[in-house]
Amino acid sequence: MKIRQSLLSVGATVMACAAAFGAVLLVLWACGYPPLGILHRWLIGAVGNSYYISNSLAETCPLLLTGLAAGIAFRSGVLNIGAQGQFLIGAMVSVGLATRWQVTPAVMPTIVIAVVGGAVGGGLWAVLAGALERWRGVPVVLSTILLNFVAFYLVEIILSGPLQAHGTSAPQSAEIQGRYWLPVLIKFSSLHIGVLLAFCLAALLYVVNRQTVFGFQTLVTGLNPRAAQLAGIPVARQQMTVIFVSGGLAGLGGAFQVLGVTHFLIANFGSYGYAGIAVALLGRLNPLGIAFSALFFGMLDTGALRVEESSLGLPHNIADVVKGTVLLVMLLLLAFINRRRISPTAKVDAAATEGR
Amino acid sequence: MMEIRNISKRFGIFRALHNVSMRVQAGEINAVVGENGAGKTTLMNILFGLLPPDAGTILFNGAPVRITSPAVARRMGIGMVHQHFKLAPALSAMENIILLAGRGLISGGRRLVAARAAEWQNRLGWRLPLDEPVSRLAIGQRQRVEIIQALCAGGKLLILDEPTASLAPMEVEDLFAALRSLAASGTAVLFISHKLAQVTEICRRITILRRGDAVYTGELAGLTHAMLAEKMIGGNVPQAISRPPPPVGGEARLALADVTVKREASIVLHHVSLQVHSGQIVGIAGVEGNGQSALVECIADPTLPAAGKMTLSTTRDSAPQRTGRRQLLAIIPEDRRTDGLVPGLSVTANMLLKRHHQPPFARWGFLRFSTWRSFTLRRMQEFDIRCPDLDTPVGALSGGNQQKLVLARELSDSPEFILAVNPTRGLDITATAFVMNQLVRARNAGAAVLLIHADLDELLAVSDRVAVMYEGQLSDTDWPHTSRESIGRLMLGVRA
Repeated sequence: MKIRQSLLSVGATVMACAAAFGAVLLVLWACGYPPLGILHRWLIGAVGNSYYISNSLAETCPLLLTGLAAGIAFRSGVLNIGAQGQFLIGAMVSVGLATRWQVTPAVMPTIVIAVVGGAVGGGLWAVLAGALERWRGVPVVLSTILLNFVAFYLVEIILSGPLQAHGTSAPQSAEIQGRYWLPVLIKFSSLHIGVLLAFCLAALLYVVNRQTVFGFQTLVTGLNPRAAQLAGIPVARQQMTVIFVSGGLAGLGGAFQVLGVTHFLIANFGSYGYAGIAVALLGRLNPLGIAFSALFFGMLDTGALRVEESSLGLPHNIADVVKGTVLLVMLLLLAFINRRRISPTAKVDAAATEGR
Repeated sequence: MMEIRNISKRFGIFRALHNVSMRVQAGEINAVVGENGAGKTTLMNILFGLLPPDAGTILFNGAPVRITSPAVARRMGIGMVHQHFKLAPALSAMENIILLAGRGLISGGRRLVAARAAEWQNRLGWRLPLDEPVSRLAIGQRQRVEIIQALCAGGKLLILDEPTASLAPMEVEDLFAALRSLAASGTAVLFISHKLAQVTEICRRITILRRGDAVYTGELAGLTHAMLAEKMIGGNVPQAISRPPPPVGGEARLALADVTVKREASIVLHHVSLQVHSGQIVGIAGVEGNGQSALVECIADPTLPAAGKMTLSTTRDSAPQRTGRRQLLAIIPEDRRTDGLVPGLSVTANMLLKRHHQPPFARWGFLRFSTWRSFTLRRMQEFDIRCPDLDTPVGALSGGNQQKLVLARELSDSPEFILAVNPTRGLDITATAFVMNQLVRARNAGAAVLLIHADLDELLAVSDRVAVMYEGQLSDTDWPHTSRESIGRLMLGVRA
């Protein structure tokens, strides 16, 4: 029964992806674009050779980490939708620790400090929202999204001030020196070691969710906080831990991105945090599912660049259209499945447990 | 007046009703009784047009009819009062009545409905404040609004689903008087219940359902309680286990001294003092919503703000600090689905909700599922919990099995203090007896039990001491040396 259900949900997700992709291609075809040509370029651009593959994987990394951030939070009933802000703060702290605020000139310690610092920075930024809820009753879902804007302008201020690169007036950090970059797995590609670590973290979280007291308690809290509290689970403390870990994962994503891919920071640093929410939902909040959906989104993004480069005149944003469609189709499918699954049994249950 | 013949209804493979026939006479109070799952609600839903029958006919005044929706039922003069009131709290009582009468669009229609409602009020001798919003009415008043609402359909047949579930004894008497006068004026009343004492008090004819079959339908006269219960259950009624007198000088396990709790600027507990000793069941009676939930929260979660002093003492010394308190307490919460269980999780997970982090169920922060399964299987046998397998989500179990699961989890490690809140809500005779017996058994074994219960009869049957909660205040009674009636008066705030 359990296996059947998980197969069903995996099947539904894959079907949703395929159907959405097909639908978008169909629309493009109706607009006069060659669907097969687009699909071909898209595939080449995503997985055509080792260069493209490593680009896809590198693009997967921030999506995976922000996806895990959203996934672990949602699963525990903490509606942290501020991965964007936590990602930015993480990137900012990280770039700072690797440039202007460097603690030591030694290479490895600097990289480790920058990575850890980024994660802690993102985590603390999220804890700010958690504290607002705990002691001031501000819902996390509000404070995290509002703190996204605060983070954006804060980072812009810092990039125009203490961290600004010399000789520029734009809000932009100095470039990190090459020796402090994250080591790459394949030469001349952007496939940095952080990608590997992100996938390991996904596996780790999977085990934590399934096998540990912490994973069980956060699951119970997410499903029924009242019952969790009455059962003696320290709900408030667990949720604070979760929001710290969640923000930390997003911050880690920012740190990896800046240390491994861009090597400098501008305030307008992509919208990986928001994309992470979609990744988490597509992965059904399961860390392994999130790994696959991040990979899918990463390949979509990277492949779309190749589509844009071709002479077809399509912008790479077409990838975002596909992502949105995928989510919509999946939500529809899920609604359909749940209806089918619930209705007959619910009636029997209602009849069998008469009077309630 | 109304007759049903050979009604059957299936849900998938589940046989909810099978060839049920019964007759309802005008001017009579008829009862439909049965355990949970016997088909009572299904039958009523068919009569009220909420469900179509698979087979069988319904005759109304001798002519076959098809009741395809509640609107059709109302047009025929059938009204229904639901167990959980279906009123819009923000609207006034009159607006609620008009809403259902379906003529709200024309002011003439509204006046007509208002006049009809006033007429029914007069006939029943009620003076309800019909212009007040329903949210400001007491439970008993809301029920009267629903009755008027149902009668405005024409008053040929009035169906009441478990109407006494949340009423104080005096309110039950008033309700019965109203039903009698309705019957006397020609309305047929159909009364659904599983409380046999009430059924025998006011009904003339009875239909007993058991697992979808009408095992008896006819006159009530000449049938004893025991015979009725036997027909209903299809076996022997479980006996209450004996209760030796409580030990003298048992130590106080829970002591509340002068506890006051405020919620959103209103005081919900007024200087409550209370002691529960070991080997004793202290019952707290009261109409729901008089501060019981605040009392429960305050005992269950000492971190919530409250003035006064609460102490929980134990004979065991080496409880782990962080979660120790919860291990001493057994809490059987009022709403098992929201407070006691996680419906989406498996039977096993719910059974371990309280102890999952302790050895041998977890080690070094990792869960040891093999121990979970054997523990759960043992408890399920002990408490006779029935479910297809251990991975079944708890939400799919019947109410009785869900409550047994909560009991199994809370009572299995012989707790020293038990807090039980409406522990038999929604349970049938067998399950109710089981639950109450478990509480008495724990008491006999030396536990201190605080029982907060809306059902006065069940409460009085097991309590060694009884206090009454009214508007946040607790008044002690010297039960068993005081009468049931005087406790009933206290429940309504009338001081003896």
